[in-house]
Amino acid sequence: MNATVAAKHPTHRSLALYLGRDVSWLARTRIRAHLRGCPRCQQYVASLEEALGELRREADAQTLTGFEAIADWSRMEREMMGNIAVGVAAARCVDHVGRGRKVLNWTLAIAGLILLFAAGWVTHIPREQTQHIFAAVQQWSGRAPQFSGTVLRSSPDGVAVRAQGSTLTLMHPRSAVISVSSTSGMEARYVDSETGQVTIASVYAQ
Amino acid sequence: MLPADTDSSRWLDVEFPRDSPVLAVSFSLAPSTSRVRGASIALDLHASLVLRNTSTRPLAGLTLRVDAQDLLPAGKGSFMVPSLDVQPGEVFPVRLDLQLTRPFNAAKTEGAMVQVSLDCAVFNDLSSYGPDRLKSRRTLLVYELEARRDRRYMADLLKNQQYDQLRQELNFGLQDVRPQQLGFEITRDLRPTGRQLPITVNTMAFPSAPVQAIGGEAQISGNELHTPRIELRNMSRKPVRSVDMGWIVRDERGRDFMAGSLPAALPLAPVQTAMASESGTLRFSNAQGQPVAIGALMAFVSNVEFLDGNLWIPTRADIEEATSDPVLRKALSTSPEHERLAEVFRRKGIRGLAEELKRAN
Repeated sequence: MNATVAAKHPTHRSLALYLGRDVSWLARTRIRAHLRGCPRCQQYVASLEEALGELRREADAQTLTGFEAIADWSRMEREMMGNIAVGVAAARCVDHVGRGRKVLNWTLAIAGLILLFAAGWVTHIPREQTQHIFAAVQQWSGRAPQFSGTVLRSSPDGVAVRAQGSTLTLMHPRSAVISVSSTSGMEARYVDSETGQVTIASVYAQ
Repeated sequence: MLPADTDSSRWLDVEFPRDSPVLAVSFSLAPSTSRVRGASIALDLHASLVLRNTSTRPLAGLTLRVDAQDLLPAGKGSFMVPSLDVQPGEVFPVRLDLQLTRPFNAAKTEGAMVQVSLDCAVFNDLSSYGPDRLKSRRTLLVYELEARRDRRYMADLLKNQQYDQLRQELNFGLQDVRPQQLGFEITRDLRPTGRQLPITVNTMAFPSAPVQAIGGEAQISGNELHTPRIELRNMSRKPVRSVDMGWIVRDERGRDFMAGSLPAALPLAPVQTAMASESGTLRFSNAQGQPVAIGALMAFVSNVEFLDGNLWIPTRADIEEATSDPVLRKALSTSPEHERLAEVFRRKGIRGLAEELKRAN
């Protein structure tokens, strides 16, 4: 091949663009005119067309064409819904792990507060008051208070009977002599400073 | 019914039967306060009663029953005034100092929260009036017999000019402000807080006692006394209706305390033997509330009621012979009237005591 003939042949790149209709109208007319009289370029263009056809067939075998994909809405919908469901499930799974930790933390915090409250109650609230509250709760709930036990107790200032959440204390001066009058009675004996009379204050349990 | 003269009548009312030989002339509540105590409200009630003996017999003593509606029927109280000598038509005062602690949300009560009523009145002729639901009649009668005994004893000392013995008897006019005594807690809870140990109850006898304590036993657990049992024998020819047992507790340091008395409704035929027992748990503590461990127990028959209604109490000679321990002897001989006369002696001296004994006898 001489230089004049070679200069007349379009380049392989121009032929590939021509085949893909990616050249200008003028260049395409000139290439088309050249191909009519050049068997060598015709052969090259034919080989390009064959290779391109092969590629398209392989692509068609592996993937849906754009039309097919657009036409199969139900399949695409199922795929999308499936993907969404997987995402949501994964999110829930991750969210559950976080909530479990939160619940555990709250439980521990509340348990600590309850323990602190119970310890404070035991150390600061007299047992008598606790019984009062239990009796009140029982009354609120409509249950009759339980007669868990009537207790008689002496103190420097009075003899007391405690029952049903309430306490009756009969006061006496500190000089009073305390004694038991039975296993269900207790008394304090003193001389009343104002009246000069001996007074015996007694409490009883039944 | 005689309510207090203020709006606080819903707190405390006094009620006597119409045929009562004692009637309320006036009733006033001194400044009574309420204050918060934890989850409860504490009502401090200070009442002054003026009563009149409307009967035709001199009044020797009476018991006023105190019912707090919150505690009924499990608990109640009373104020007993023995050693009275109130002539017919005379008035006399009675003071009631009490405190009621109730939960804030306790059910509202109809009427007053505390009701005061007459339980029993005993006259100089040893007759009585009243429902006697607290069985106070027997106690009032015993106190009246002890009062007569002690007045007679002191009158004899005066008559024989045994002033030193009289002064000693009345603690030289000194007031025992903080007597050495025990604190108590009584509960029906029979569960011991520690290991129970059996203990033998020692007995002491007054020579003229118609019923003698033969022996006994109890269970102790630290400062707790459980189920004391005493074997009693009727040494007289008269059937017995009930026996009152006196108890002395000795702590681990050897100090004796007069713990009180346990009555036993125990019918005893002549020469018969029977066992008197009590249930419940009795806890001992000192005045500050610290537990007092029980070292030993002693029991004696302090008075006896016969089936015919007559009562036996120990004489002064019985008490002198029963023990040589002066502290114990003093504890045994101290009656309500003895305390009243000691107060008269402290305030007015020998002359005032002599006038009081002359008036009472």
